[in-house]
Amino acid sequence: MTPPDLASDASRKRKLRDSALLLPLFGAFLLVSPLITVFTAATTLFGLPLIFVYIFGVWLGLVLLARAMARRLDKG
Amino acid sequence: MLSLNTLIAASLGYALLLFTIAFWAERRAQAGRIGWLRSPFVYTLSISVYCTGWTFYGAVGSAARNGFEFVTIYLGPTLVFIGWWWLLRKLLRVGRAQRITSIADLISSRYGKSTTLAVLVTLLAVIGSTPYIALQLQSITLSFSVFESGGNATLTAFWVAAGLAVFTILFGTRNVDANERHHGVVTAIAIEAVVKLLALLSVGVFVVWGIAGGPAEIFAKAPPEMLRGSSIFSARWVSLTMLSAAAIITLPRMFQVIVVENAEEKHLATASWAFPGYLLLMSLFVLPIAIAGNALLPAGANPDLYVLSLPLSQGQDNLALFAFLGGFSSATSMVIIAAIALSTMVSNHIIMPLWLRFAPQRTETSGDVRTILLRSRRLSIAGILLLGYLYFRLTGGSGALASIGLIAFAGMAQIIPSLLGGLFWRGANRTGALLGLLAGFALWAYTLFLPSFEGGFILSQAAIENGPFGLGFLRPNALFGLTGYDPLVHSLFWSMTLNISLFIFGSLLSTPRPLERIQSSQFVDVFRLNKSSGSYLVSRSATSEDLFTLAQRILGSDPAERLFSEMARQQGKASGLPDATDKLVQSLERELAGSVGAASAHAMVSQIAGGGTVSVDELMKIADETAQIMEYSQQLENQSHRLEQAMQELRAANAQLTEMGAQKDAFLSQVSHELRTPMTSIRSFSEILRDSDHLELPEAKRFLGIIQEESVRLTRLLDEILDLSHLESGHGQLPLAPVVLQDAIEKSLNATGALLEEAGVQVNLALPEAPVMVIANFDRLAQVFINLISNTVKYGRGENPTLAIGLTLSETLAIVSMVDNGPGIAPHDRKKVFEKFTRLSKATLAGSAGLGLPISREIMRNLKGDLILKPSRRGAEFEVSIPLA
Repeated sequence: MTPPDLASDASRKRKLRDSALLLPLFGAFLLVSPLITVFTAATTLFGLPLIFVYIFGVWLGLVLLARAMARRLDKG
Repeated sequence: MLSLNTLIAASLGYALLLFTIAFWAERRAQAGRIGWLRSPFVYTLSISVYCTGWTFYGAVGSAARNGFEFVTIYLGPTLVFIGWWWLLRKLLRVGRAQRITSIADLISSRYGKSTTLAVLVTLLAVIGSTPYIALQLQSITLSFSVFESGGNATLTAFWVAAGLAVFTILFGTRNVDANERHHGVVTAIAIEAVVKLLALLSVGVFVVWGIAGGPAEIFAKAPPEMLRGSSIFSARWVSLTMLSAAAIITLPRMFQVIVVENAEEKHLATASWAFPGYLLLMSLFVLPIAIAGNALLPAGANPDLYVLSLPLSQGQDNLALFAFLGGFSSATSMVIIAAIALSTMVSNHIIMPLWLRFAPQRTETSGDVRTILLRSRRLSIAGILLLGYLYFRLTGGSGALASIGLIAFAGMAQIIPSLLGGLFWRGANRTGALLGLLAGFALWAYTLFLPSFEGGFILSQAAIENGPFGLGFLRPNALFGLTGYDPLVHSLFWSMTLNISLFIFGSLLSTPRPLERIQSSQFVDVFRLNKSSGSYLVSRSATSEDLFTLAQRILGSDPAERLFSEMARQQGKASGLPDATDKLVQSLERELAGSVGAASAHAMVSQIAGGGTVSVDELMKIADETAQIMEYSQQLENQSHRLEQAMQELRAANAQLTEMGAQKDAFLSQVSHELRTPMTSIRSFSEILRDSDHLELPEAKRFLGIIQEESVRLTRLLDEILDLSHLESGHGQLPLAPVVLQDAIEKSLNATGALLEEAGVQVNLALPEAPVMVIANFDRLAQVFINLISNTVKYGRGENPTLAIGLTLSETLAIVSMVDNGPGIAPHDRKKVFEKFTRLSKATLAGSAGLGLPISREIMRNLKGDLILKPSRRGAEFEVSIPLA
């Protein structure tokens, strides 16, 4: 392997680790901050209350992001 | 309607299935075919023990009462798991490296293997978990009561508790595995996790699509305040999320499945998304079930049991039975794992230390200790379940399920500051952890736990409402007048504030012990440390070999041997090592305390004797380190002492050198001056002779005479300088021979006779008749005397000048003294006398270059004698010492 590859590999890994640190903070910002009150409006989406869609949607999004990240972190 | 008998049969059948699966898994594991038993998904499913009966039934109840609030209990763990790289990974690595067996062990190990902390955390875990176990028993009996209202709840609870005790003892204490893993139990828990998830999903699907026509229809029935309201994002929302995040790490059963039962660190990567996914599925239908229950069931129905009563009300007996088994799974899996985790803590940190201290005449074979350990675990399991059962009976199964669970969460969350601080802050120490934990737990008990009994336990109803002794500012629910907050938030605020402050300030203001320092770096830098190789586990017993090795490391071979053979003799053993009795341990500890301090000695010995999970190698490392530190500090002390000495010597040498440099400068300028004077007269007279043509012959002769005289003086001066430098450099030994001292003195008097007569000096000789033989060089010795005499003639003349020459003998030396009656030499000049070209005062400057005395002293020193100037009140008194023949 040539040195530039190693360097970019290391920086890729570092970015991955940094985002692994950021993911829970990002999740907390979406779910445990005043931001969530924005979505308590009495509207529906696909026939479901907006807040229900928001909370479970964000939750699912976090699970999928964590899955993608875990696979890469596990490999690296 | 299902009969109670069907229900009991189903429960027993299900329990039997679990027994079989656990047994089969255990057998498989013993045969070494672990395979998928330890796959990442089994690991993930085992973590779902987080979802207890409280979750299964209580989440719906919570949603029916408070809307979305129930989600926070799952959001906290979700955030912790998707941030696994940051915290859980480190926790797992530390747990593996330090062979941690429980949350109490972790805290204790981090803070210098402190027994106090271990006992404290264990007690608090038991206090926090007992209501929680009672809660599970309650949820099972409640679920029974849905089917058969006439059933005896207490009896049901008793049999459930007994059955769980049997299961836990059978599969939880099969062996004392070094890594505390229980394959059978974990497999059974994983099956239960699947069952409870499927049960809840089935009920959910039935409610949404069976009863109602889809999700939209269900949500249309929801009261608007359930979906909006103040419950979403409030202080309580944040607190509950944080609490549940803390609980997923600190609850004893969660620590057990996440850290202790973890087979491979890699599995955590899978669990990091799969477990949040599991929680998502578990909570997906909670709200629809709650809404449907509120809408369809009569007003008096218990929301905590909607999961069962909804299918029953629709005549879906089989679904209700499945839901019942789901709830049964949730409750039993929690109780089983909690009992295992708590029994490990209780037996490791409370029973074993007590047994080790008080057991009489125990033998120190590891097999024996294993038996004791297993027995103490089994007893602990039975005791913990009994405690849960008693709690259930005494409180009569009152109170909403959720609130008891949250109280337990808040109690165990008090460990978080010490845990996080321990993992990430090197400066955290035992004092801080102890203070923080004690304060946090005390405030938690006062503001949340005791009031939860509603006046039934310690705090009376009046004390809760008006404060103890009527002190209003001490009201448990409004401490220091902080009102208007939810009791949970209020309690969390005060307990955490005090906990964190005391933890930080206690750590900053106290000094950690050596073992704490070692452990702190073992924890904080766990990813930076090399994997320790070949460290094995002490089988929780002290062998005298271990103790002996430890003693040798610290005391040294001989003292250790003396101590141990003395002990062996006292035990009546003719040879060999003594038995590792308490007495031996105590005396060893005392001996070691002298070397490494009492605290460290206690930690070391009690770690060997008291049976922590520390390896002997590690102990030896600590011992070696201590010895090294001691040796090093001693060396340092010696070296700094030596350094100081060297400094002083250097300073003296430097002063001498500076002085010598100054002397040399003075010498050079003096020499050039001395040389210049004769050179000037030689030059000027030779110029006169060359330039004047009319010089009379006598005049010219006189001038030539001066030139000749000056040349002689110059030559003499140069000779003297050469002589002195020759003597000083120590080259060229003077040829020595036996000399009659009186002869040398006589010769010098003859040589200076004219001089003395001219100056009118009266010489008083007082010499012994018998010839005194010395080892010297005759000519040089005479030169010294001549110098001294002419010195007296030049400088030592008083009125009626006299010179007294005496001779005394010591054992090895002949001492010649020469005393004049001149003005003497001032004390501050005495040292200068022997310096080159020194004249003592302007008045005595009489043309000599002043090398006489320095040369004389050098000669005497070359002759192994000396020349000194004695302090005297009048006149100068020189003393010449010469070795006798």
